[in-house]
Amino acid sequence: MKQSISALMDGELFEDEAASCLAILGKDLEATKKWEIYHLIGDTLRQPEHIPADLSATVSAKIQQEPTVLAPRISMVRRNPRYFALSAAATLTAVGVVAWMSLQINPTVATSPTVNQQNAAFRPASMQFNQDSNEYLLAHQEFSPSTDMNGGASYIRAVAYNGEAK
Amino acid sequence: MSDKEIDQQLVERVQRGDKAAFDLLVSKYQRRLGRLISRFVRDPAEAEDVTQDAFIKAYRALPGFRGESAFYTWLYRIGINTAKNYLLANKRRAPTSTPFDAEESESFEEASLLREVNTPENELMSKQVVDVVQKSLLALPEDLRTALTLREIEGLSYEEIASAMNCPVGTVRSRIFRAREAVAANLRPLLDTSKDNRW
Repeated sequence: MKQSISALMDGELFEDEAASCLAILGKDLEATKKWEIYHLIGDTLRQPEHIPADLSATVSAKIQQEPTVLAPRISMVRRNPRYFALSAAATLTAVGVVAWMSLQINPTVATSPTVNQQNAAFRPASMQFNQDSNEYLLAHQEFSPSTDMNGGASYIRAVAYNGEAK
Repeated sequence: MSDKEIDQQLVERVQRGDKAAFDLLVSKYQRRLGRLISRFVRDPAEAEDVTQDAFIKAYRALPGFRGESAFYTWLYRIGINTAKNYLLANKRRAPTSTPFDAEESESFEEASLLREVNTPENELMSKQVVDVVQKSLLALPEDLRTALTLREIEGLSYEEIASAMNCPVGTVRSRIFRAREAVAANLRPLLDTSKDNRW
């Protein structure tokens, strides 16, 4: 593990190895100490003229007093713009397939529209409803699969106007 | 995994509520940021305070960090702004109006000036740390010393070091690790016994 931390600092670990190493850092005290001291050695070798005092403990204590920051994860999408391209391509493909299939199912609809002429022989059906069954149907209309107002049917009341009664 | 990617992974952990991950970023960048801020705020005690403030501000602003730039570049801007605001609040002028970027600031030479304003205690500790590190480096076997020097001072990759030293990359990795461990072993007693554990 210690050798992995050394290589991680130098940016010389592969993704999976680096991920497992990073997962331990900050949780394992010994590993975290190694991280700190290796960085101190590097900074000292690069700029021995001035080494500022260690502020990590003080800053850490102050950070503990701060509310925890939380932010939505955007990096996956941002780092991989392919996701956008693949999503767009998949959407376009799906739209294309659906359009093509609808044309294959009924190609005449689009090419030769026909005028639907009313047959004079057809007449509206007339049927006598029993008053009791009509009320029953109205009362249970909410259970009908054809209604668009499920649950609201019980509040609907049928009102009829009989002009001849006057 | 590159340095930028490692930082991004740590930033994402902080953004998911892991405060310990922010401590790792502080450990990594505190000295670079401290040196940077010391160029604006000359008093070492004030520079320390401003550096701490900059880290706190960075922590608070982290939910808005989207990784368009490297983490240190972003932190660098926060550090500069915090230092300038501090000077403004104290009616003092920044020592230079020259705009440095994050890379230029790394090679800026003001060491003698910084030494003059450092406190005696910090100065002593700083000297001891440098002394132990340099003596430990000199005491290393030559192959370990060369590998660590090429990595830390010259900034070469493992592959470049392997080519320069005519050995496999795995050997370079092992040599650098062993060199760090040897230096760390000498440094540990000094760090553990330091007053108020600030090193």
